Amino acid sequence: MNIQDNYQKNRKNIFFSENKDIATHREKLINIFENDRFDKKNNESLKNINLKNFIDFKYKYLIPEETSVINNNHENSYSIVSVNGQCSTFKDDKIEITKIIDEDYNDFSKNNTIEKNDHFVNLNSLFLNSGFKIVIKRNYNIKIKISNIVTDDDLTIFQKNNIICQEGSSLSLIEEYENKNNSTSNILNVIKLEKNSQLNHFLIQDNSSNHNLIITSHSSCKKDSTYTQKVYNFSEGYVRNFHYSELIETNSEADLQGIFFLKDNNTSNNKTFVKHLAEDCKSNQVYKGILNDRAKATYFSNTHVDQVAQKTEGYQLSKGILLSDNASYFSKPELKIYADDVKCSHGSTIGPIDENAIFYLRSRGMSKIAATKILISSFINEELSSIDNEQMSEIIQKKLVRYLSKVK
Amino acid sequence: MNSETLNTLDSYSKNKYKYGFVTKIDEEKPKKGLNEDIIKFISLKKNEPEWMLEWRLKAFSKWKKMKEPKWANLNFPKIDYQDIYYYSAPKGFDKKPKDLSEVDPKLIDTYNKLGIPLEEQKVLAGVAVDVVFDSVSVATTYKGELEKLGIIFCSIGEAIQTHPDLIKKYLGSVIPAGDHSFSALNSAVFTDGSFVYIPEGVKCPMELSTYFRINAENTGQFERTLIIADKGSYVSYLEGCTAPKRDDNQLHAANVELIALEDAEIKYSTVQNWYPGDEEGKGGIYNFVTKRGLCAGKNSKISWTQVETGSAITWKYPSCILKGDNSIGEFYSVAITNNFQQADTGTKMTHIGKNTKSKIISKGISLGKSQNTYRGEVSFLRKADKARNYTQCDSLLVGNQCGAHTVPYIDSKNNTAVIEHEASTSKINEDQLYYCRQRGLSHEEAVSLIVNGFCKQVLQELPMEFAVEAQKLVSISLEGSVG
Repeated sequence: MNIQDNYQKNRKNIFFSENKDIATHREKLINIFENDRFDKKNNESLKNINLKNFIDFKYKYLIPEETSVINNNHENSYSIVSVNGQCSTFKDDKIEITKIIDEDYNDFSKNNTIEKNDHFVNLNSLFLNSGFKIVIKRNYNIKIKISNIVTDDDLTIFQKNNIICQEGSSLSLIEEYENKNNSTSNILNVIKLEKNSQLNHFLIQDNSSNHNLIITSHSSCKKDSTYTQKVYNFSEGYVRNFHYSELIETNSEADLQGIFFLKDNNTSNNKTFVKHLAEDCKSNQVYKGILNDRAKATYFSNTHVDQVAQKTEGYQLSKGILLSDNASYFSKPELKIYADDVKCSHGSTIGPIDENAIFYLRSRGMSKIAATKILISSFINEELSSIDNEQMSEIIQKKLVRYLSKVK
Repeated sequence: MNSETLNTLDSYSKNKYKYGFVTKIDEEKPKKGLNEDIIKFISLKKNEPEWMLEWRLKAFSKWKKMKEPKWANLNFPKIDYQDIYYYSAPKGFDKKPKDLSEVDPKLIDTYNKLGIPLEEQKVLAGVAVDVVFDSVSVATTYKGELEKLGIIFCSIGEAIQTHPDLIKKYLGSVIPAGDHSFSALNSAVFTDGSFVYIPEGVKCPMELSTYFRINAENTGQFERTLIIADKGSYVSYLEGCTAPKRDDNQLHAANVELIALEDAEIKYSTVQNWYPGDEEGKGGIYNFVTKRGLCAGKNSKISWTQVETGSAITWKYPSCILKGDNSIGEFYSVAITNNFQQADTGTKMTHIGKNTKSKIISKGISLGKSQNTYRGEVSFLRKADKARNYTQCDSLLVGNQCGAHTVPYIDSKNNTAVIEHEASTSKINEDQLYYCRQRGLSHEEAVSLIVNGFCKQVLQELPMEFAVEAQKLVSISLEGSVG
């Protein structure tokens, strides 16, 4: 079924289809689909992807029967269960959770940092059927854990979340994606950090092999704010992590990090993009990947420094380890610099595990497998030891052990 | 930024292009435009055999269906292919002069002005030169000496007549006509260029060199160079380019193919100084060049060195296909852009054979309102066991209206191959400047010294004859500040 028919048929179930402005915007998106020739070479969002699965899909959505619960365990600590992308409303003096409204949609559709030809983002806008909005009130220090649950097989979830950190607030957000059913989640997070706010964002992805997860995020940072994102991808199914960050006022910071562990026939596409639009901002993009069996991964990183963004510091690093003959890794670390007083660099390496290091460990009496495992752990040790949340670090250690147990 | 730096920048941009003169010489040109008739005309003029014409027409039919590649970070108005002369020759060149004394003295004069004294070089040992003026190869010096060793160094037009077997075998074998639209265009209308064949086991005793010059207005230059190094041979080849100042943009779309067989080595050096346009960004050459080398045999080596200072637009990716086991590809580049120049240049290293190695050193310097992009691809195919790549690309920004971009593509399909890539972008270090000034250097000298130091890694790869010229060229590009 083509996109146009699919959309018309399911219009009733899609958010905001009554709104005229949004309807015209969606008409435009449909046009993009119909006129695009899906040029895999030049469109980063299409690399390594079986298009047919994603464009030619069967739309199915269930409104969850039981609305999700919000527990206020301790003070300032919340845990949220989002079912099929929906979440019940909640309000106290520290945070506020509501459904997304038309304006949130319009607000985002005007943004042009995300490419117009990113078909997954366009699909998300077209078939939007869930999502919520979280506001962290001024000067509060909050912890939130969100478990994302998909209830049935064959669901197609198109979710748009808004996260707003008001002035002076600080949020530690842990998102878990652990689904075992045969469905597809396409999620777009729009994050806004007001003056002097902070967000530590952890994403733990551990889906089974028939679950597809497509996550795109767009964060914008105002004066003195800091956005830190850490992605841990242990999924056996397809995962796409595309994360965009805009530093719009001075002295803001964006730190986008990720580690992915791939095996079997798994594919993962990753992208980070930081746009420096003001002076004195810092950014850091670090992705590490371990690929086994026939796994495939791509990583696009991009630092864009605008003419006004003097005194910028922007760093990129991408590292990949190929454990098998049939694994492949593609990386494209890009720098676009229009200001002269900047310090920007990128480094990228791809290769096997260092043979000398293996030799050293084996000469100390270790088996080859044990040596390999130790070296893999040390490859990502820096990232793991920097997690300051104990609970998180335990979860990740466990998953790492599980991954390593399959390395031969 | 202090006022002195601004003054220095000002003087950079006012610097004049000294090769911008026009040689008044009677020219023979057919009508403008691109069609089958013009291709037949070129082929007839060159007295080419039937198979060559067919080859050209085939390429032309491919070109008609193709669109220009779009990946580059360049802005320029659409090229009107029908508004270009595809052939221009100094009159009286139907028959190639046998000897320098038959060449129009005006031409000789032109080359003397450019600093290639043909006469002198007949005497001095050293460089053998093939000179291409607009579309026609004017003279090849030192032919006799080379012939004794079995080396063939002549214009490609001549090679089509005299060595059709080699041409048939190798022409288009590295860059197929249908590769992309500029290679198809070149294959259809190429007019001249150089042909080099080094026989088995021969080390070419001198640097071979070609000088390209676009003289006529509204012409495109489409040269085609083919270099074949047979088993165990060695050759070092130099290429230089200039063009007169014109208000219109001129198109230059060259194809260069290198083939290195077993144990052979080719070193290819370019100093490109086409007219870059004036300070308003008017005029200048559009330089769309495809250069590709094939390391076909075991232990072969191809090394590209380029100094890119000219052209309004540079679109150029000298590449290596490392097919033979243990073969080596190298790429050294300095690209300087000023005023409104745009450069999108880099390389492509494709590792196919085992133990193949490649090294990329790229230095970009942007001044004025220019945009300078490094774009490179390194790929390890499945069978490239133990392949190795090292890439370093550094950019230097002078002034706050220019841009420096780095776009590497890295693709590994082999788990024993190792790739390393690093890049940095910065401005001229204030501390270094301060240090130099303190030692009594003027601001200009200091900038020159730092820029030269920044490029040194690449410049030292150039052959002696060229290193001096290149250093001068870097200085000229920064003239006003550099002694």
